[in-house]
Amino acid sequence: MAWEYYLVVMLVYLGTDLLAVWGLNLEFGVAGIANLAYIVVVAAGAYAYAIVTLGPSSGNGGFQTYIGGFTLPFPLALLVGAAAGALVGTLIGLTGLKRLRQDYQGVAMLVVSLMVTTIVSADIGLFNGTAGLALIPNPFSNLDPDTARWAYVALVAVCCLIGFVVLRRFTTGPMGRTLRAMRDDDTAASAAGKDVVRLRLVVQAVGGAFGGLSGALLAGFIGGWSPSAWAYIETLAFLSCIIVGGRGSDLGVSLGTLIIAVLLLQGVQFLPQIASSPGLSEDFGWIILGAATIAFIWFRPQGVLKERRPRYRGESPSKLPG
Amino acid sequence: MQLIIEAIGFGIATGAVIALGAVGFSVQFGISNILNITYGALMTLSAYIGLVLINHGINAWAALAISAVAVGAVSVIYHRILLAPLVRRGTRAIAMIIVTVSAGTILQYVIVAIAGPSSQSYGEQSGQTFHFLDLTLSFGQVTIIVLTAILMLALHLLLTRTTLGKAMRATSSNRTLARSCGIATSRISDIAWFISGCLCGAAGVALAITTVSFDFSLGALFLIPMIAAAVLGGIGQPYGAMLGGMIIGISSEVAAAVSNPNYKDVVAFVILIIVLLVRPRGLFGAAWSSRRLMEG
Amino acid sequence: MALAATGPLLEVDHLEKHYGGVRAVDGISFTVERGSITGLIGPNGAGKSTALAMIGGFVQPSGGRIRFDGVDITGMAMHARARIGLVRTFQMARVFGNLTTLENLLVAAPRQRGERAAGVVGGRRAWRSQEKELVSEAQAMLETFSMAQKANDLAGTLSGGQKRAVEIMRALMMQPKLLLLDEPMAGLSPSLSRHLEDVLLKLADGGLSLLLVEHELETVDKLCGKVVVMAQGKVLSEGRMSELRLSREVQDAYVIG
Repeated sequence: MAWEYYLVVMLVYLGTDLLAVWGLNLEFGVAGIANLAYIVVVAAGAYAYAIVTLGPSSGNGGFQTYIGGFTLPFPLALLVGAAAGALVGTLIGLTGLKRLRQDYQGVAMLVVSLMVTTIVSADIGLFNGTAGLALIPNPFSNLDPDTARWAYVALVAVCCLIGFVVLRRFTTGPMGRTLRAMRDDDTAASAAGKDVVRLRLVVQAVGGAFGGLSGALLAGFIGGWSPSAWAYIETLAFLSCIIVGGRGSDLGVSLGTLIIAVLLLQGVQFLPQIASSPGLSEDFGWIILGAATIAFIWFRPQGVLKERRPRYRGESPSKLPG
Repeated sequence: MQLIIEAIGFGIATGAVIALGAVGFSVQFGISNILNITYGALMTLSAYIGLVLINHGINAWAALAISAVAVGAVSVIYHRILLAPLVRRGTRAIAMIIVTVSAGTILQYVIVAIAGPSSQSYGEQSGQTFHFLDLTLSFGQVTIIVLTAILMLALHLLLTRTTLGKAMRATSSNRTLARSCGIATSRISDIAWFISGCLCGAAGVALAITTVSFDFSLGALFLIPMIAAAVLGGIGQPYGAMLGGMIIGISSEVAAAVSNPNYKDVVAFVILIIVLLVRPRGLFGAAWSSRRLMEG
Repeated sequence: MALAATGPLLEVDHLEKHYGGVRAVDGISFTVERGSITGLIGPNGAGKSTALAMIGGFVQPSGGRIRFDGVDITGMAMHARARIGLVRTFQMARVFGNLTTLENLLVAAPRQRGERAAGVVGGRRAWRSQEKELVSEAQAMLETFSMAQKANDLAGTLSGGQKRAVEIMRALMMQPKLLLLDEPMAGLSPSLSRHLEDVLLKLADGGLSLLLVEHELETVDKLCGKVVVMAQGKVLSEGRMSELRLSREVQDAYVIG
């Protein structure tokens, strides 16, 4: 049934987008790193998943070329995807070694994102160039199609559950507090004994693992992955979820993901299509997304759900939370 | 050897376009301390305005001038109504970057919605070619090199010989001090954003003239060599951006000639990363600008 | 090392900083003794703040050495200096604006289990007991600074004087051996200044060493045992404030500067 198919697609997208947004929120919302190359770690996870689950490049009639081809089982492949994201995330994080101004670093990462797309598109031997990879194995392909779809939703749900538990270890408690201090004023954080450069690399590795896992799950579900799926503006979509939802708030950015990534960007596809310009509704989605992002930065920079800080009770009644 | 000499000729033409763009980008950063990523989309806008004009039978060079002025005006308005108020409200640099990326995305998709996603072309330019030594350059390339040289000279004279230029340099190096010296810094900002917007517009049409075909991603992809040139020269330093543009243009064309042309931008990218890691203030960055770029 | 523990806490040896051709700090040498309050004074542009920034690790020197507690720290990163007990505050008070006042204090505590890999993996159980102790320590400190009622307010909403207080409390949470203070009285009301002076004197009585850059000579007179006078990047003279007031050299530097 069509509606059931749409529902499955939406749920899978919601789950994979949540993982990516959580990872980026850890970097941007919590630790203050404007990682404008975040989509590259998602792509790394997707390609890594693809090339370790696919058979050898020569084995399928040679219609696509790529490195790797190990026919690994999917749980292992998901881990490889997350690891690839962590590795690439750390590499992108190396642009932060010089402790440059945050916006300057953001621009450097934007250029990284544009550059990686250019290289992967141009090099056919790496991941089959612009055409991208197809026939990426679905882990449940031996089940009947309906069961397989819902099995995938369950897989994504389990990953999100595990992801959320891991995420909270970094965003709450002393670790979350230290990262937020670094976001608010990294010079003062250094003066307070925090190794800012190291913390940023750690955060970009962890955030990268989230993005990598998101990409791996997406590639396994769609069955294909190409440079058009990870243009640099996809990072803006994730950032938009964070800014609209409430930067730094795990619950807020999850709400933002539902509003922006699912309701807006997927929702516009249900707008009536104009035959003469088929891409118009999608263009419209991006225009609204950009406008919403700017509007929130202008009118409500804290987002829909503001980041909440823990309150402590002391002995005197004046210190009770008001 | 012949191949490399030809590549150098092409590189000078490419470098001229990059320099046009990078100088404008650098001037905006110098005057307002904003890294304006919308710049790429504004170049695309200019290329499409130029396309409309040329399709209406207007000469390509007249189209370049008109588009440049139009984008200059759009830049001033954009800075006035969006960027400057946000900065006044204390929006952090990290959020400003997201604002300029968002505005660029909006503009890019408005262009796609109106003009469609397909590739466009300015059509055949004059087939006339020029030969210097072993170089062969098209009429378009030579004109762009000359035009860039004239614009850069004009900018140089403006910055060094006029009161306006001195006020711009003063505002660029210390805005608060300039204001307390009686310089109307917001008017100076408007003028600087107009001039840099004109350079952005000129670069957009020049880029469209020198490429076979273009689409809505024209400006976004140009961000790689342009930012590399601006950073190499020392961002905020117009002269640095001129030299940076030439270095990036020539080295990427030479690299493309001796290896895979698809990797043209890789050279620009590698230069950018090396500069960021070794000397973030660039070739010409003074001590003050490096302090502005480093945290704190 | 036994020898080091008895020597001066901080030794600055021919420290230099050039910006282009300008010598902001031109070969200064002085020491800070254990348990003392040392003042660093001089006219505007004398290089005091640059000197302090180099000692704190915010600016890399062009030449010379800095030793702290017997260890050469010249090339050491700012956070590493903070961890061995050399803690600085800023001229413009810097707080973590989106954390509460109490959290601003907690975040500075050294050796937090929850910040380490084991604490992150182990979760709440790994750090709960330590956190509880830190919270009561921080609450006690807020009481001493009469700021207990602000504990749960976001630090960004505090007044300038309160932010200064938060910064000093945050520095104290780090259990420093030497506190570098850059014009701590700037922008404070006279009554708040008096209050802060008393607090600093009490801290020094408790064995903490302080190096103070200050414009207000009254404050310097009241607090500092030894005073180092800088002018045009050099150390002009050093001694007790009462002696220095009589020195022609110092008077001239202040008049000319």
